[in-house]
Amino acid sequence: MLLIDGVSYRYRDAATAALQDVSLGIPAAAVYGLLGPNGAGKTTLISLLAGLLTVAIGRISVNGQLLAAVRAADPRAIALVPQDYAFYPMLSVAENLRFFAGTLGLKGGELQAQMDAAVAFGCLDQVVGKRAERLSGGLRRRLNLAIGLLGKPRLLLLDEPTVGVDPQSRHFLLDAIAALPAAGSTVIYTSHHMEEVEAICQKIAIIDQGRVLAEGTLEDILQSPEPFLELHLARPLPDAVAARYPAVATGRLKYRLKLPSTAALPRLLDELAAAGCEVCDLNLGQHNLEQVFMRLTKRSLRD
Amino acid sequence: MSPRLHALWLKESIALLRDRHGLLALFIMPTIFILVMTLALRDAFTPGATIDAAYVVVDLDRSAQSKALIKRLDKAASFRRHDNDGDPEAARRGILAGHQALALMLPKGFGERLLTPAGADGKPTEPLQLLVDPTLSPALQLAFRNQVMAALGALRADELTRRAGKLFGLPTAPAGSADKEWPDEIRSTAVRGDRSARLPSSVQQNVPAWLIFAMFFVVIPVSSIFIIERQQGTLQRLRAMGLPFRLILAGKLLPFFVVNQIQAAMMLLVGIFVVPLFGSEALEMPASLPLLVNWWVVSAAVSLAAVAWALLIASIAQTSEQATIVGGVGNVLMGAIGGIMVPKFVMPASMQKLAALSPMAWGLEGFHVVMLRHGSFADILPSLGQLLVFAALALTLAIWLNHRALTAHS
Repeated sequence: MLLIDGVSYRYRDAATAALQDVSLGIPAAAVYGLLGPNGAGKTTLISLLAGLLTVAIGRISVNGQLLAAVRAADPRAIALVPQDYAFYPMLSVAENLRFFAGTLGLKGGELQAQMDAAVAFGCLDQVVGKRAERLSGGLRRRLNLAIGLLGKPRLLLLDEPTVGVDPQSRHFLLDAIAALPAAGSTVIYTSHHMEEVEAICQKIAIIDQGRVLAEGTLEDILQSPEPFLELHLARPLPDAVAARYPAVATGRLKYRLKLPSTAALPRLLDELAAAGCEVCDLNLGQHNLEQVFMRLTKRSLRD
Repeated sequence: MSPRLHALWLKESIALLRDRHGLLALFIMPTIFILVMTLALRDAFTPGATIDAAYVVVDLDRSAQSKALIKRLDKAASFRRHDNDGDPEAARRGILAGHQALALMLPKGFGERLLTPAGADGKPTEPLQLLVDPTLSPALQLAFRNQVMAALGALRADELTRRAGKLFGLPTAPAGSADKEWPDEIRSTAVRGDRSARLPSSVQQNVPAWLIFAMFFVVIPVSSIFIIERQQGTLQRLRAMGLPFRLILAGKLLPFFVVNQIQAAMMLLVGIFVVPLFGSEALEMPASLPLLVNWWVVSAAVSLAAVAWALLIASIAQTSEQATIVGGVGNVLMGAIGGIMVPKFVMPASMQKLAALSPMAWGLEGFHVVMLRHGSFADILPSLGQLLVFAALALTLAIWLNHRALTAHS
């Protein structure tokens, strides 16, 4: 378990803190989604985890050991995959992989084995001899990710790893990332794309303006305190029912009702039956992640 | 060897080999500069070289003395003499047409009155007349006048000797045979550490000068790779992998140091083998091993200063364009005030003082100490000291700038 405990961070000359008292619990061998709009503090948090910035206030530890000590003991334990194509465009795919493997201290058979594994992971075998600058956007993303896996890291930090790729490549990348925890890696995944986070993350944190607004499993986050019910009735909603539950018409004989809790649903159905109002269609709605985010931050993720 | 450092060196080398513009700036540009500037400045570095200005002598006297004067002028061989059949008008037309810049008129009676001061015998003395193309530089006009005066003086001395010999009944040469080998030439001799030899030629001045200039142009490939690394997050990735910044710098220092040494070898070969193909003198390197070692030590110090300067520029600049402009203009300025483009000795005293501020001037001074004065290791120490202090300061500043940018926090 990776614990971020009361971490605050302020850049030199900045008026406000980039992170304020952030505490998160990131389970081992899982994909953890870090959501937030631009300027929320995601990159600062990733930079602290990657060791690019120094933790001045608070503590980051892995199973009780300080993250900095883990990194010092094994530099390969943590890998960062930046949002940009963080490799050398003038080098071929193989030369890039060989270089980054070399900087990790790998050599000989181990280096070759890790290179082969990275090529296989990114399905890059057709382009190993091709210069990186001549690859498509999707292949560049795959190479960017494959480089991050060369050291078999225990903690992989992915900063918007699917930016600017076509749907096919995105699908490939998401599948590949989702499979990483099975090999023992903990993945921290930042993204603007709600559907990506919903698809692959087991636990999520929403941060904005340097603060954690919500943290938990996808189910926890989506659990709305005020579920709503969408009804399509054969007759207009009886006045007695409308008086009891705040309702708005959303179409002809279609209504959206606020329920105090999901437990209120059976009673409502009984009341409708008693009033002779047949229910044609029913949907007990919950908010999706984007709606939750908007409710928490009062703005869209892409702001 | 550390696999990390090996990987960094290999990456830097491959990246450089694929940077065609960088290679062009590092190898082709200085080769062209050496060839062009060596040929252009060849005569400026050769005392007594033929001046590209022609003259005619209009000999209206046709005496033994006038022929002797022409012979003496020919011997000086600085200005080119064209033939003239004694026609003053043809000489004037030749100047107007640009065939020659000067015409010296030897009047009738020149030989007879050679030893007679003007008016001493009651007859007016017609002076020698010099027709001049007004576009000819005053310095060359003066040089030609001085040459004529010198020849005239020698001719008079010969004539006096001849007449004195005749007076005392000594055997003498016939009148006008004024081609005795008087010590009438000044031979310039360079003062070197071991023994006297000729003055440095244009190639000996230009090869080290343009080599230094080229070495400092590593700023282009160094900064272009470094800025790509910084802009694309590659530096962050490397730091997240636990790679210390000083190791990243070391990974850049050695490949470009090697590149500088390849440049040095290549420019020497150009000076020795290619320059003579264009009609200039071949580069002369010191023959002794200690001097060659000293030469290499200067080359190594210039290289360290150049790579450190390149890393500093790469750390300051935000984009490749900025690095190219700041680094390129910086190099040109250092070259201009440092005696690379314009030899220091033609600069006014105030500019020569300014040259002392240029690292390129320190490097050039070091090379000149070895190549021209055959100086010892102690003699090159001042240049080495200046270059190494400059390199250390530039590297320290580069490390500090990067550290500040990457670890900014409250």
